[in-house]
Amino acid sequence: MSVARLEAVGVISGWGEGLGALPGEATRACAGQPSLMIKRPSLDGERFRRATRECLLGVAAVQAVLAKRGRSPRDIAGGSTALLYVTAAAYGASNRAFVEAAPTAGTLHFPYTAASAVPAEVAIEFQLTGPYVIFVGGATATIEALAHAAVLIERGECERALVLAVETFRECEDLHARTRWLLARPLVEAAACAWLEPGEGRLRVTDAPAASTLARHARRRAGETLACEPLIALALGLESGDDRLHVTGEWRGRRLGLEWTLPPRASSRMGAQV
Amino acid sequence: MGVDPVAIVAAGVVTPIGENLDAFWAGLVTGRDGLSTIERFRVDDLRVGRGGEIKNVPLAAGERPPACRATALLLAAARDLLGRAALDAEPARIGVVVGTALGGVERLEQALDDKDHRPRLVAGALYDSPGHALARRLGSRGPELTVSTACASGATALGIAADLLRADRADLVIAGGFDGLCRFVMRGFDALRSLTRERVRPFDRRRSGLLLGEGAALVLMARDRDAQGPRLGRLLGHASTSDAAHIAAPHPDGRGLVSAVRGALAHAGVGPGDVDFVSAHGTGTPLNDRIETAALKTALGPRVGAIPVNSIKGALGHTMGAAATLEAIMCLLASRHGIVPPTLGYEEADPACDLDYVPRFARSVRTRVSVSTSLGFGGCNAALVLEGIA
Repeated sequence: MSVARLEAVGVISGWGEGLGALPGEATRACAGQPSLMIKRPSLDGERFRRATRECLLGVAAVQAVLAKRGRSPRDIAGGSTALLYVTAAAYGASNRAFVEAAPTAGTLHFPYTAASAVPAEVAIEFQLTGPYVIFVGGATATIEALAHAAVLIERGECERALVLAVETFRECEDLHARTRWLLARPLVEAAACAWLEPGEGRLRVTDAPAASTLARHARRRAGETLACEPLIALALGLESGDDRLHVTGEWRGRRLGLEWTLPPRASSRMGAQV
Repeated sequence: MGVDPVAIVAAGVVTPIGENLDAFWAGLVTGRDGLSTIERFRVDDLRVGRGGEIKNVPLAAGERPPACRATALLLAAARDLLGRAALDAEPARIGVVVGTALGGVERLEQALDDKDHRPRLVAGALYDSPGHALARRLGSRGPELTVSTACASGATALGIAADLLRADRADLVIAGGFDGLCRFVMRGFDALRSLTRERVRPFDRRRSGLLLGEGAALVLMARDRDAQGPRLGRLLGHASTSDAAHIAAPHPDGRGLVSAVRGALAHAGVGPGDVDFVSAHGTGTPLNDRIETAALKTALGPRVGAIPVNSIKGALGHTMGAAATLEAIMCLLASRHGIVPPTLGYEEADPACDLDYVPRFARSVRTRVSVSTSLGFGGCNAALVLEGIA
């Protein structure tokens, strides 16, 4: 059992920004499209000229959670913010581009093939120099990242933790079409960021014999968002005002659960922010 | 006060200088050079075609080699480990945490060329596929995690594994790092002009770049109070930090590395004065070695001049995701044997790199507390504080 408070979750997806953009039923709303893309966010600055779309989605998700909290980038800069990044597949686009651009791809492209490219751009943009971990995997990896963020907070190694997930599919849509047994449909691109702080919330990782109501709700409304799904589920839970959030995540035949008990007063306050 | 230390019970490796733990150590101490011309894939169109290639990955009797090179390396290291220690816990209480820079990316190259559109190639291209294959082979049902802090991954994996044990999420964790050499990464580093045509010379005045290598390294970890019988040593502390400076180069002052070393020491509950030995990242690139030297001075203070500092990348090449775990294991073996392996390739001092880099020959030194440092693309930094057993 770890102690941390969930302050807010910023969500963007192929449906648009925020939970309000999600349809009631993703499968029906997708109308047979195999995947739903998020356009490259238009972010200012010469520095982003070479950044990949998935990097910009990471930056945009952090901006979304900052907006929810009513905070500025200055509030999170420095060594007291931990950044934990999760993805199952977002490196696929840059990896493929590098392979297929041979032999012309080079100095500018190769560093962006690393799974660490997305959190690197986020860390540079917001000057995050605190604890830094990059998990690769689907929804179970996000649950592990949330649990690890709580451990860092509980040990006093950071004053806040951002758990960021980004998933993109469009550039590798033909490859994903070969793995229908691994990925559900429709594939919906998403980027989500949860903001954790020290507080009275209690968080516990559990076995999960079945998908939780929140996880099913997130899947039904957003579609298959892989590592983003637990964060979308948490956002939905906050919105509902519940003081006990139970999310589950599945990946590669495993399922993990996360039970998060929030202090009642804070949960209703936070619910209003989502 | 630091956190609870975690026991490192045993280790297993496969490397360019030795296909198991004993051969790896013997190779380090005797100065074996594991760098050679790459034979497994085409390199004739690259500026540099040399690296730390493992010519024969050991297999179990009757075993067919896994089609994925990275998985083959990881399973070979696991076999070596399991020959030295038993997994004496319920499957649900055994975790697997591995670090990688590349995962199964070679399978992506194959998938893109695959006219039969085999799904297995695509699934294998996901970076967590080799770790998943290891967990399946072991039959473990506890936490299964892949981390990818680039070339610091093998250190981050050990730190995360220790935290899983402290949180009672598992009773045993197999943790470590791996990466295979493939055209993808050779092309990338070749394009960056990071690869040297000369000898790899960490911290040497004439250093001109790195060579890549491949390998896998795993350790069996348990809560210190639960570990019975012989052990290699203990992980006392760990920290991973971000530079927030550049996508592919370290911060000019090494601020992230300084912060990681200080964080790991605080985590361990020890001070700079307790450190007996430093295993440096030491890639042999002009920039890394200068910045790392400056960062070690800042983090460890004036006493760093009296501490032996080595890099084993002159012998192995830069084994990417495996590097930090191999270096952590080396630290523990150095304590056990009272010997610090030399920095192969280091001969001429550089005024900007003015520490004691253990030149030419292995040195008899009693070491107990070691610091191992790692850096990677994306501004990743990690430091481990290890305690060996003399």
